[in-house]
Amino acid sequence: MLSASVYIIVCSFRNQLSVRLRRLKQPRYLLGAIVGVAYLYFSFFARWRTSSRATAARRNGRSTPLPAMMATLTAAGPAMGGLALMVVTVSSWIMPFNSGLLDFSEPEVQFLFPAPVSRRQLLIHRMLRSQIGMLFGALIVGLVSGSSLGGFTRLRVSIGVWILLVTGKIYFTSVTLARARLRSRDARSRRVAWLPIGVMTAAVAVVATALTREFLQTPPSGFEEVLQRLGRVSTTGLSAIALWPFMAMIRPLLAEGPLAYVAALVQALLVTLAMAAWMLMSDEAFQDAAADVVARRSVEPATTGAPTYKVRSTGWMLAPVGRPETAFAWKAAMQTLRTVDKRSMVRMLAILGMLTAVAASLGQANKLASMVGGFSLAGTVFAILMAPQVLRIDMRQDLGHLELLKTWPVKASAVIRGQLLWPGALITGAAWTLLAVAMFLSGTVLPSVSLGWRMSGGAALALLAPSLVLSQLTIHNAVALMFPAWVPLGNQRSRGLDAMGQRLIMLGGTWLLLMLSAVPGALAGGIVWFALGRFVGPVALLPAAAVCTAIVGMEVLLATEALGPLYEGLDVLAVERSE
Amino acid sequence: MGLSVEHFGRTYTTATGTFAAVDDLSFIVGAGEIVGLIGPNGAGKTTTLRSLAGILRPTSGHLRIDGHDLIEAPLEAKRCLAFMPDEPHLFEYLTVEEHLRLVARLYGVTDFDRRSATLIEELELKGKERSLPGELSRGMRQKVVIACGLVRNATTLLFDEPLTGLDPLGIRRMRNTIVARAREGAAILLSSHLLHLVEEVCSRVIIMDRGKKIADGTFAELAARPDLVTAGSSLEQIFLRVTGHDAQS
Repeated sequence: MLSASVYIIVCSFRNQLSVRLRRLKQPRYLLGAIVGVAYLYFSFFARWRTSSRATAARRNGRSTPLPAMMATLTAAGPAMGGLALMVVTVSSWIMPFNSGLLDFSEPEVQFLFPAPVSRRQLLIHRMLRSQIGMLFGALIVGLVSGSSLGGFTRLRVSIGVWILLVTGKIYFTSVTLARARLRSRDARSRRVAWLPIGVMTAAVAVVATALTREFLQTPPSGFEEVLQRLGRVSTTGLSAIALWPFMAMIRPLLAEGPLAYVAALVQALLVTLAMAAWMLMSDEAFQDAAADVVARRSVEPATTGAPTYKVRSTGWMLAPVGRPETAFAWKAAMQTLRTVDKRSMVRMLAILGMLTAVAASLGQANKLASMVGGFSLAGTVFAILMAPQVLRIDMRQDLGHLELLKTWPVKASAVIRGQLLWPGALITGAAWTLLAVAMFLSGTVLPSVSLGWRMSGGAALALLAPSLVLSQLTIHNAVALMFPAWVPLGNQRSRGLDAMGQRLIMLGGTWLLLMLSAVPGALAGGIVWFALGRFVGPVALLPAAAVCTAIVGMEVLLATEALGPLYEGLDVLAVERSE
Repeated sequence: MGLSVEHFGRTYTTATGTFAAVDDLSFIVGAGEIVGLIGPNGAGKTTTLRSLAGILRPTSGHLRIDGHDLIEAPLEAKRCLAFMPDEPHLFEYLTVEEHLRLVARLYGVTDFDRRSATLIEELELKGKERSLPGELSRGMRQKVVIACGLVRNATTLLFDEPLTGLDPLGIRRMRNTIVARAREGAAILLSSHLLHLVEEVCSRVIIMDRGKKIADGTFAELAARPDLVTAGSSLEQIFLRVTGHDAQS
């Protein structure tokens, strides 16, 4: 089985790589890859070289020594990290955490479950398959950690993080298996499953008692003393033994010098091996746990991370006759309303309303009002400028249904307009709600600005919001039609260097295009403002914003028409699908 | 009217270069006619059907539905067309009834309530109207796709393995539905590996192999072909002879 696992991993990796490399023959993907490589170089490697020079300079004696506080912090690192790890591991028994190790893919279920393969071998196979992702993650952590670190230190950090991730994955899987074992009909099996819970409870009790003794009898005088006492708890008595496995996992990340590092690594690997042995010994529960996962998959969406839809009365029934754009908007609305409960939305709005009312009633001097107002204003800006990138219930998601969409007798521009309608309305609605709160509390957020200016400015922003949102959504949908293989389908995330470059291009490009598309509207709005401003004051912002939004809206309409041929020419084979 | 395929070709680009999935294919399916499209795996049947449905763009040639060119007048062509694929693609967040409603809206079906009620009854979807695709079996999902195809008055119907996943009763009903639609004047192109089904419902058969049409005619015409006289009278025997597999079997 081991050779079969390695074969699957190698073939999948090789084929994925080959598909991505082949994709680079197309200039648009090549451009994305170049941007991705450049980003990696300038973000990590160029900075790395600079920091190496700085490190060399420090070695030459031109740097200042670490302050005492930093030295204490470094010494208490394993204890603090160990305690944090202990909290996480304990909480995984209370709040089940899915390690993903038992989330077999559909082909794995079809090919490997009926095969003459033992449960242990299946676990090892999943463990091996998860290594590429974890190695990549560890490598990235090593690359981004501390700008002053040298290349070898980064490698050491990467190895330490990798061991931590592997152990975590094994541990969380073992917890899942132990939980399955707790439901076993066999009394002996149930007793065995209680054993780790007993050990964990005892360890927590020991550490909690030591901490209580250390901190409750005489309160610490400062943060430095807190760190010193934590260090004492982790190195003396029974608590040192209870915390040892957790601290052992942290030590490779903080070890100074090669010898200390090797020693820390050996200890961490011992913990990993112990966890692996526990997981493999729990393999008899694997059948139940894996069956649970497969059964869950059969009633839930197959894609990892995909939402679960629930049929709810939405109060909107699509009439059999009418404009096709509305049909697309209705379809997207159903998707939203089946993932988000209408009552929860109403409850959220009620809480926001109550919070606003309470904040307002407390008066201008109260900080709650300025805080709620400030958050609402920031939320408005986020909704207008960032939400179109995040909310993908448009063509970006419907590319997965392209085969169906393509058979419909609907004008391409109408399809695109229809795709923009619901997310546009949803984001605008959210922006308006937050803006209303911000305007209501604007006296506390912007006390130096007059009421006239605040109200006119808010109303103008409300007028501008739909056109700005729709303009960005148009850009995102245009990109989805131009670079379909770059767009992650549904809840997938596209991978590869070119995809990373694409995200960067997208972010920069969207902002640039948004600014360019706003120029004619802004100019026209500016003229209106200059013409009326001197007579009516800040109220002139309203007609100026209306003119600007009308022009941007017209641009959006023209863009949907212009994008029609792109949709018609889009080949369903250009959309990348995952396993 | 019906559908016409003229010198249709479609190529794919792969790692090893480009290859023609369909090459210079021409045929006509008249109104009221049921034509079977058969061939070994990789013959180009699904590519032909998906191109006729407007999913894939032809590399060369013309595809016409009721006289409307799929490239020049795609909306008019698609309005006359219903495609029932072998793999049911449904929106995971819409119920069975909402799928029908959405299709009705896109095709402008005015008597939706009557049509949908009849179809739900006919395809045994009663009680499943408010179910999401994730809650349905594969056969049921296939029935939803078929219902979506039949809810409007399409004059050209394309079926790609229409019986996949259906139970025996469903198979019989599907067969009757296909024949009934042809009697009402629809042009039907049906692709299937179930040769007995093709033999039973089709009035004519087109056999494809490696992207090319290698036989086209009624069963009597094919059986009378000089090279097929000795093949036997069943479609299976004719198919094996035409594709050069009779000696191996």
